[in-house]
Amino acid sequence: MAAPGHPPPPPDPQFVLRGTQAAVHALHFHGADEVQGHPLLFSGCQSGLVHIWSLRTRRPEAILDGHGGQCVTWLHTLPQGHQLLSQGRDLRLCLWSLAEGRNAVVDSVPLESVGFCRSSVLAGEQPRWTLAVPGQGSDEVRILEMPSKTSVCTLKPEQGAKLGMPMCLRLQQADSSPRPLLLAGYEDGSVALWDVSERKVCSRIACHEEPVMGLDFDPQRARGVSGSAGKALAVWSVDGQQALQVCRTHPLTNPGIADLALRPDRRLLATAGWDHRVRVFHWRTMKPLAVLAFHSATVNCVAFASNGLLAAGSKDQRISVWSLYPCT
Amino acid sequence: MAVFDTPEEAFGALRPVCVQLTKAQTVENVEHLQTRLQRVSDSALQELQQYVLFPLRFTLKTPGPKRERLIQSVVECLTFILSSTCVREQELLQELFSELSACLYSPSSQKPAAVSEELKLAVIQGLSTLMHSAYGDIILTFYEPSILPRLGFAVSLLLGLAEQEKSKQVKIAALNCLQVLLFQCECQDHPRSLDELEQKQLGDLFASFLPGISTTMTRVITGDFKQGHSIVVSSLKIFYKTVGFIMADEQLRAIPKVQAKPAVEHRVAELMVHREADWVKSTGEKLTILIKKIIECVSAHPHWKVRLELAELVEALLLKCSQSLVESAGPLLKALVGLANDESPEVQAQCNKVLRCFAERKVVMGNRAFADILSESLHSLATSLPRLMNSQDDQGKFSTLSLFLGYLKLLGPKVNFVLNSGAHLQRLSKALIQVLELDVTDIKIVEERRWHPDDLSASPKTSATQPWNQIQRRYFRFFTDERVFLLLRQVCQLLGYYGNLYLLVDHFMELYHESVVYRKQAAMVLNELVAGAAGLEGEDLHEERVETSKEELREIVTSVLEEYTSQENWYLVTCIEAEEMEEERMLKESGLQAITSGAHACQVPSFPAFSKPSPTICSMNSNIWQICIQLEGIGQFARALGKDFRLLLMSALYPVLEKAGDQTLLISQAATSTMVEIGQACGYDSLRHLINQNSDYLVNGISLNLRHLALHPHTTKVLEVMLRNSDASLLPLVADVVQDILSTLDQFYDKRAASFVSVLHALLAALAQWFPDTGSPGQSQERRSGAEERGHLHTAPAVVESSTTAEDIERFLLDYLKEKDVADGNVSDLDNDEEDQSAPPKVDENDSRPDVEPPLPVQIQIATDVMERCIHLLSDKNLKIRLKVLDVLDLCVLVLQPHKNQLLPLAHRTWPSLVHRLTNDDPLAVLRAFKVLRTLGGSCGDFLRSRFCKDVLPKLAGSLVTQAPVSARAGPVYSHTLAFKLQLAVLQGLGPLCERLDLGEGDLNKVADACLIYLSAKQPMKLQEAARSVFLHLMKVDPDSTWFLLNELYCPVPFTPPHCSLHPVQLWGATGQPNVYTANVLHLLQELPGPLLPRYCGWAGPALAEGSGSCREGCKGGVDNRSML
Repeated sequence: MAAPGHPPPPPDPQFVLRGTQAAVHALHFHGADEVQGHPLLFSGCQSGLVHIWSLRTRRPEAILDGHGGQCVTWLHTLPQGHQLLSQGRDLRLCLWSLAEGRNAVVDSVPLESVGFCRSSVLAGEQPRWTLAVPGQGSDEVRILEMPSKTSVCTLKPEQGAKLGMPMCLRLQQADSSPRPLLLAGYEDGSVALWDVSERKVCSRIACHEEPVMGLDFDPQRARGVSGSAGKALAVWSVDGQQALQVCRTHPLTNPGIADLALRPDRRLLATAGWDHRVRVFHWRTMKPLAVLAFHSATVNCVAFASNGLLAAGSKDQRISVWSLYPCT
Repeated sequence: MAVFDTPEEAFGALRPVCVQLTKAQTVENVEHLQTRLQRVSDSALQELQQYVLFPLRFTLKTPGPKRERLIQSVVECLTFILSSTCVREQELLQELFSELSACLYSPSSQKPAAVSEELKLAVIQGLSTLMHSAYGDIILTFYEPSILPRLGFAVSLLLGLAEQEKSKQVKIAALNCLQVLLFQCECQDHPRSLDELEQKQLGDLFASFLPGISTTMTRVITGDFKQGHSIVVSSLKIFYKTVGFIMADEQLRAIPKVQAKPAVEHRVAELMVHREADWVKSTGEKLTILIKKIIECVSAHPHWKVRLELAELVEALLLKCSQSLVESAGPLLKALVGLANDESPEVQAQCNKVLRCFAERKVVMGNRAFADILSESLHSLATSLPRLMNSQDDQGKFSTLSLFLGYLKLLGPKVNFVLNSGAHLQRLSKALIQVLELDVTDIKIVEERRWHPDDLSASPKTSATQPWNQIQRRYFRFFTDERVFLLLRQVCQLLGYYGNLYLLVDHFMELYHESVVYRKQAAMVLNELVAGAAGLEGEDLHEERVETSKEELREIVTSVLEEYTSQENWYLVTCIEAEEMEEERMLKESGLQAITSGAHACQVPSFPAFSKPSPTICSMNSNIWQICIQLEGIGQFARALGKDFRLLLMSALYPVLEKAGDQTLLISQAATSTMVEIGQACGYDSLRHLINQNSDYLVNGISLNLRHLALHPHTTKVLEVMLRNSDASLLPLVADVVQDILSTLDQFYDKRAASFVSVLHALLAALAQWFPDTGSPGQSQERRSGAEERGHLHTAPAVVESSTTAEDIERFLLDYLKEKDVADGNVSDLDNDEEDQSAPPKVDENDSRPDVEPPLPVQIQIATDVMERCIHLLSDKNLKIRLKVLDVLDLCVLVLQPHKNQLLPLAHRTWPSLVHRLTNDDPLAVLRAFKVLRTLGGSCGDFLRSRFCKDVLPKLAGSLVTQAPVSARAGPVYSHTLAFKLQLAVLQGLGPLCERLDLGEGDLNKVADACLIYLSAKQPMKLQEAARSVFLHLMKVDPDSTWFLLNELYCPVPFTPPHCSLHPVQLWGATGQPNVYTANVLHLLQELPGPLLPRYCGWAGPALAEGSGSCREGCKGGVDNRSML
């Protein structure tokens, strides 16, 4: 028993989801289940399966198999309707209809890049939504209008920029302007801000020395954060002229960030580390708050639910769910 | 006898007697008349009724003193006539009534006349018959106000008789007659029921008698117990019928404010009572006093029929007079409720019927006044409950609680009025908590231990068949009667059923937190509250209960469950904590000798090294009870929620399973039955099913708790239980936990090795069971070849045996020589054995690079990892751990058998350590090590054979030989020494191993030589047996040489050669003299399979016999002779 005065024991996951039987590569929370107030958690794993977990029973409610045994790298749900997007390394991006217990692929978009770059969606209340996917050329990003699947444009860096492959994407739309922006992290460690309608790079910063593995953006503060294979996190801001600026970098104990996510209330930042650990930072101050050590292999992805739950998926085939500093 | 059917005939017959009677009024004449009357038919008599009655009435009316006897016979005769006829005229009825009543009245004394009992009886009978014979509506016109004085006179007469008469018969007759007079006769002769107006008129009339009747009846009822129950029963009946009739709410409602002028003379009018409100009120008050008196006296009446009648009384009065007798409602209900738990089943049934009927008709709920009265009673009872619980004996407690229960039943949902008052809830809970206090001084509770962790998997089956109550009996400080506990449970359940569950749970939860002293009781109450809220086993008296919804109930249960299983309420000190550690240490200290099967017996109760203040037995008992109660609660919650409880399994199952592995008997029993309960509630067929289906939840708990092993030292037990109760489908789920365990073991191998090793054992045992080695070449093949061998041995001799000619012998000899040649040639052709044996491990070592191979099955990976740990743990200081590790190792080998590439390098690394166990350890360890060797031999025989022969066998053989003289000389105490045990272990282990390893001849000889000495009768019996077992195994490997060896020691029969051209065989043992080996050798020779003919060995001819016994090979020829044995 810990004697008084000792620091509290390291935090434990609230619970752990087992049974994917393959490394977990993508996680996504979907709202709150209307009846019970528990969100659903989607997980995508190496073996190409998507598990839909009920956090009420902590068991999979359904298992979707649509990627031919190829790793599922990205999952996202659309705000309207029960629709799920899943990106797999079988070069397909599937649109699933989950309404009324259906679990069927209703549409799919062929992809042209086998990389691990995750797609991004910009969807509002309108039926039309925008999708950014890695493109055919090694450095291209394709923008599609959905659900019609019409190609809007291809964003290709100017000749000689040598950014390498896009590693992570984030579609963004400022409240003030209707023009969608795209934040993209590249293999060379730089983050670029694209104006999608003008198909040009607004601004670009080389904030990492290693490939950018994940980024997230806080539109309220106009600040974003990116993590790379290197030993630092970079926090940058976007000013009124759509110019990126590095605010600060935050050194890490061990190199390698696989994914990062901001909590919906924009208070916490969580990173998925190659060092098997999830780190939690105070988003405003970037003060490290906790190191969540549970997994026994690389943590591949992190996700926050709207109620503040944090989930981390790892190569050790487990998904840990944590309840940290409750939302206010 | 002739019957006079027509009136004319009858008249003819009766006239003379009537005239006679009129003339002379004597008893004889009356009797004469009566005998005549008996022959007259009823119809004829009806015609002549007036005529016949005349002389009789005349006799009664004649002034002047009369003899009693005469009057009696006249009355009897009258009664006879009336019983066969009916009175059709009102006048006649009235007159007869008056005349009969007057018979008992003596004008002088203003009292019932002092006449004989017979006369009284006759008159009463007469009156009764008269009232019955009144025809149709005549009877109603009879009851008009003008009759009041006469009726009153009769009533008071009868009351007087009922009260004061000595004869029981008269009393009962008087009471019955009174009933008839008051229109309450129960016989079938009054088919017509009264309409409302008639009832009211009668009521008005009878109201005048109410004071008299009620007081007199009360006096009778509360009179002597000895007067007989039937009198009390009748009196009670008259009381409630009368009161119920006169005070009926229905009638009273119709009474006008102002009294109508009755059309009767003034004197009679004065007697009349007007039943207006004031009268009702004052009468009600007076009646309440009487009713209280009656209840007080009768509710404890020894005869059940009386108590039954009381229940009827309550029913009648409460149903009919709920408004007029509102003040009596309290006592009446109390009486009823009290009787609801009467010892007589009839009374109980009646009371319950009445209660149900009340509830159905909403007597209580529909009547505010009643509800108020009940609430008030409950209030006051709740107030005095703590005091009563403190002061009363078991019987008193029982009746108080019965009463309380009854109030709750009657009040139903309205019980919340009482509960909402904080003060009363406080009182109530205090009383419950107080009376439920457990007796925690029993030392057995702590003492009883579940010593064998393996029992758990078996125990659920046995206890599943037992009903819950049988398992755990509680002992309470303040009562011993089991019924009191049952009542308390019912009370709590009813509270949960009708009361506001949130409020109650909140309140008792507070008490639970408030003090350790209250905790157990509060938990008990909480359990019952929830059980009650889910629905009652018994019937529900009220329909409009506000039901707690499933959702709410689950919420409540969740919060209570959370509280129960929280760190500070679940992990209580139930045994002296250091016990386990201490036990281990003691084993270490005492070294090798301490290991006996009764290891626990040597536990010393006092621990000198104990530093912490020791928890008292009482506090540990209390903790044990608390855990049991909480476990029981979880079971009840499960039952309450049914399938809904499945959602709570993720938090509830783990703690329960943890307790199922607890050392304390009571706790593990309680936990097991809780599991059974949960399984049933959630719809699982069996415990196995329950555990299997929810293993994900359990694994979650295990893996999280493993992170804080110091806080959750029993985590490994849960995994053990799980593994024992699950199947292969569990493996993918636990795979990562196993890895966690192994890495935790690496961290704590010095402190908690014991618990880990037992988990590993469970794990490997499970693996071995889930993945049986089907295609193993090892054992099955070997067995088959063994069988073939023996089969061959059996069939071959038949050919030779049929005719042993010189040619046969010659051929045999030639064959032998040829085979011998081949055998010699073989040695040079084939590879050296040594090389052959050492080769595979080398190859395997190179192969064991896992990165180039396809991924191994999970179970193989696990077994490899575990075996790796075993290598280190094999040399643990603690013998217990070493033994367990050897078992684990054995299982590892078994699981790894099909994967030689993994097994062999590991076996190679294990070898040095294993050799130590074999040659340099406790006998127990030696035995287990042998077992491991045997298993190893199944899969890597070649590898093992050379190692064994090189590293182990010489040492073992040497020690056996050197120890043999010692044991041969030793006394009986020797069998308790370590040396003996070691000898025994080696002897027991060698045999099967030799067989399994298929040792070469030279090594077999080594073994045989070492063991031979132990066949001596001088050796201790056990060692002889063990040595015999070695030879039995050797016989299977090489029967011939064994046979020869044995015969060398003692040869029971001399051998004669089959052919005269052959020399007779001379065996060393063939002296015929019995020696020390004789018994065992004979024994063994009998065991040798039938006649033998080895494949290669030759005839023991003179050419081959190089010596008689110094060389074995030469003498093997004797084999053939054995066919003659």
